[in-house]
Amino acid sequence: MPVNDMENSQSTPSGSNGPQLTEEEASRYDRQMRLWGLEAQQRMRNATILVLRLKGTATEAIKNMVLAGIGKLVIVDGEKVTEEDLGAGFLFRDEDVGKNRVDAAKSRIESLNPLVTVETISNASILAGEQFEDLIRAVDVVCVTDWDRDDLIRINAVCRRNKKPFYAGGTYGLLGYIFCDLLDHEFISPDRSAPKDAPKSVKRTEIYSPLDIALRHRWSTLTRRQTKEVNPAVVFSILAIWQYQSLHSGELPDNLSAATELQSIANSLISEAEVNKQFLTQAPETVLNAIANTAVHEFSPVCAIVGGMLAQDLLKALAAREPPIANFFVFDGNTGAGTVTRMGMP
Amino acid sequence: MSTAKARSAHARAILGPELYERLPDTKVLLVGAGGIGCELLKNIVLVGFGKITLLDLDTIDLSNLNRQFLFKKKDVKQSKALIAAQTAAPFNPNVTLTPIHGNIKEPQYDIPWYQQFDIVLNALDNLVTRTTLNVSTVSPNQRQRHFQFAQFAQHQVNQSTASSGVKIARQLFGEDEDATGELDAAEQQGENAQEIATLRKEAQAFNSVRTALRSTSPEVNCNAAKLAFQKVFDTDIKNLLLMADMWKSRSPPVPLDFDSILDGTFNLRDEDKTQNGVNPNQAAAATPSTSSVNGNGKAASSVTGLKDQRRLSLKENVELFVARHVQAITNRLAARLQSGNETTIAFDKDDEDTLDFVTAASNLRSTAYGINTQTRWEVKEMAGNIIPAIATTNAIVSGLIVLQALQLLRRNYTGMRNVHLQYKPAVPLSTITLSKPNPGCGVCRDTYALVLCDPSRALLGDVVKGILGENNEREVSVYEDKRVLSDPDWDDNLERTLESLNVTRGKFLTIVDEEGEWGTISIGLSILPPDHPVDSPPYILPSPLPQPQRKPKLPPAESTPATPPRTSRKRSLPIDMNSDVIDLAPTPKRLKPTTTSNDLESPSKRRRLDQDGLLLVDGPGELLDDVIVID
Repeated sequence: MPVNDMENSQSTPSGSNGPQLTEEEASRYDRQMRLWGLEAQQRMRNATILVLRLKGTATEAIKNMVLAGIGKLVIVDGEKVTEEDLGAGFLFRDEDVGKNRVDAAKSRIESLNPLVTVETISNASILAGEQFEDLIRAVDVVCVTDWDRDDLIRINAVCRRNKKPFYAGGTYGLLGYIFCDLLDHEFISPDRSAPKDAPKSVKRTEIYSPLDIALRHRWSTLTRRQTKEVNPAVVFSILAIWQYQSLHSGELPDNLSAATELQSIANSLISEAEVNKQFLTQAPETVLNAIANTAVHEFSPVCAIVGGMLAQDLLKALAAREPPIANFFVFDGNTGAGTVTRMGMP
Repeated sequence: MSTAKARSAHARAILGPELYERLPDTKVLLVGAGGIGCELLKNIVLVGFGKITLLDLDTIDLSNLNRQFLFKKKDVKQSKALIAAQTAAPFNPNVTLTPIHGNIKEPQYDIPWYQQFDIVLNALDNLVTRTTLNVSTVSPNQRQRHFQFAQFAQHQVNQSTASSGVKIARQLFGEDEDATGELDAAEQQGENAQEIATLRKEAQAFNSVRTALRSTSPEVNCNAAKLAFQKVFDTDIKNLLLMADMWKSRSPPVPLDFDSILDGTFNLRDEDKTQNGVNPNQAAAATPSTSSVNGNGKAASSVTGLKDQRRLSLKENVELFVARHVQAITNRLAARLQSGNETTIAFDKDDEDTLDFVTAASNLRSTAYGINTQTRWEVKEMAGNIIPAIATTNAIVSGLIVLQALQLLRRNYTGMRNVHLQYKPAVPLSTITLSKPNPGCGVCRDTYALVLCDPSRALLGDVVKGILGENNEREVSVYEDKRVLSDPDWDDNLERTLESLNVTRGKFLTIVDEEGEWGTISIGLSILPPDHPVDSPPYILPSPLPQPQRKPKLPPAESTPATPPRTSRKRSLPIDMNSDVIDLAPTPKRLKPTTTSNDLESPSKRRRLDQDGLLLVDGPGELLDDVIVID
């Protein structure tokens, strides 16, 4: 089913006309190419992804992206492996404690898929100034994990300036989130309601917003049912964690004493955002108590789910098939529910 | 043991000390080390389940490596269970892994074997084994949790063309389906003599081709491939065309003439039907693939060059099938038979020769019938029943499984959920509360029991009588799987040993009440304890004896309602917790109420339907919304 050739939009990597897939790649990627097709595979293969920070979320996301066969991975993390990292960091071993995270993990990442190029940067100074702009320009997509909100806003702006799609994801105990700014994203969306023998594909464009705009989103346009569907208690819990972090120089809440403050932050965010009062006026106390105790911890099954959704969406954006997350996904590990809210998008 | 004391700090904080302290002693059985299994193993190792047994019968293939991340290219052909354990063990040195390269259906994996585990995690990929596992773990006091993940192949399109190729392969290279005996019998029974004569001629023609393919005499077999071609795609089609009635409302097939195709003068149809704008007589330019559902064929900018995704012209298909040189696939397969190493060759999608054959054969047939041909890539998927698979879905599902397993261990049953991955943008992960136990469930409405015995000495009748206890007057039929061993009118086998009836350790005897008054009893068999006295009966009955449920009699047969009662479609999708299948793109199907009560009267018949995958419920119209029928 021929589709109109799309102009090289911002969200597809330059070099779709790169070298063809080898027979070996075709064998390794057989089962996934039968899902998303050869063209999508080539786009992934020609892409360079930048990942910031190598904790649980990134460990999982990287595994998935490397298995899928992206062209190149660049990882930046200035920190060293701690004992706690071993709980969700299966790229680390006991004897790696004290080493730079990226150095410890590099060869294990490469062995997941030798066809992928892996570059590691253990000096976080590259994340500021002109160096950072150069770094951004050299990649096709940026993926920032387990990062604080205020710096996410800064990085998002740099990406936007350089027309690079931006992903952010992380976990706080049993909760997790993904945010993305894909600029003006063009893609093909299969029409699932079309009759079986005539699969139609529709070309669509989705206009995204940067994080600072998204955070000013007002919920007043949603009905009670629409509000309920997207799980605002979890959304605002995460936004409250972000605000807390901002007020505490980057520190996450790490015991019950933080609950009161979290509660009051969440409640004022909910009120400012004009959430449907019939549904939610305050964040549930039990939820925030749990968060106060667990936000600073990472749990491997939650990392697997959030890292999985993150990689899946990033690959979707590269392939330009199927609508990606638009634009704020939250995961509640208490139930397993994952919902997406459109925040600040036109 | 891990030297890093704080490696579990995060998990402990999240699970709480009480649950966390239990993990090192929790014994987990993980069945399957493939797509889900690798991810699941990684998760439970990291979380800290102390004793994990991992079982898988399969070996590693290159196509696994895009998602089964515990395996590397150098591991291809080795045991999945063993390599998975080897790779995952270092993720947490505090965990003990016991990998088994074996088949869950083997006799040693009987009910007592399962009872050593606290929780069972299911990472299988097929319904039959899931059912085995389900049945084996439904027993008294067994805490069962099956996480069933079902991916159903979406390709119904063009299934027939690929399977026709497989059929041709079987006729030429497979088992000799000797028709003469059947034809003789049919003739004796007075069937239409003329038809039988035609069928005999058919069988003979096929036989002479089969013989030629296997012949070691060079004059005979150099022509065998061409003989095969002419029979299947020329003669047989011409014979079909003689039946004028068939073609009154159907477009007739075109016989393929070998010589004119190869010299380029063959005229397929008057309109010269082309495919993809290409004349089938000419060699195809390399056109990009269109996989059957999700293709994205951009002719100009993405010429693939991948040989599997080329569409072959008619001439190329013929050349693939039969040519004057040894490259032709029919010759290659014939050579394998002639070498004597193989007496028959069966289709296997990973056997390049058979895949080539099926591609050529099904394409030739398609061309004759005016159906679109398929690339080798597409044929492999259809005939090989390949289900596409990616790493992320496996990773997400496995993470969800562990979260639910932890809820189970906490006994937070009301907090448990079934979770669906779906295409809905606002709700990509949708949660559904678990259904209450369904008294009509095909698996757990039966009553299960365990009998320890020596099958070489225990008699069927004694065991059945013993199980029925006081109620041993009632009329029953006894089965092992689908086999009837005895019924009220036929009791010869009751005097025989279980072993002589091939009823052995690990298998189940099923006792079905012929009156439909009592529920079915399912007896699992295991071995006697080593200290069992020699002079005691060679079986030990469970104590107490199993008490099946008393069932209300079915209402008298009446005409079924024209439309089945439906409740509001707005309720969340009901999933039977004990059903083997979670349909990812669910369309709740209805049990067809057109089967009258008469058909369902015989419990034996109900049971046979059960085993074909239908979940039957008691009484028409009841619980229809709570059942998903498995096709």
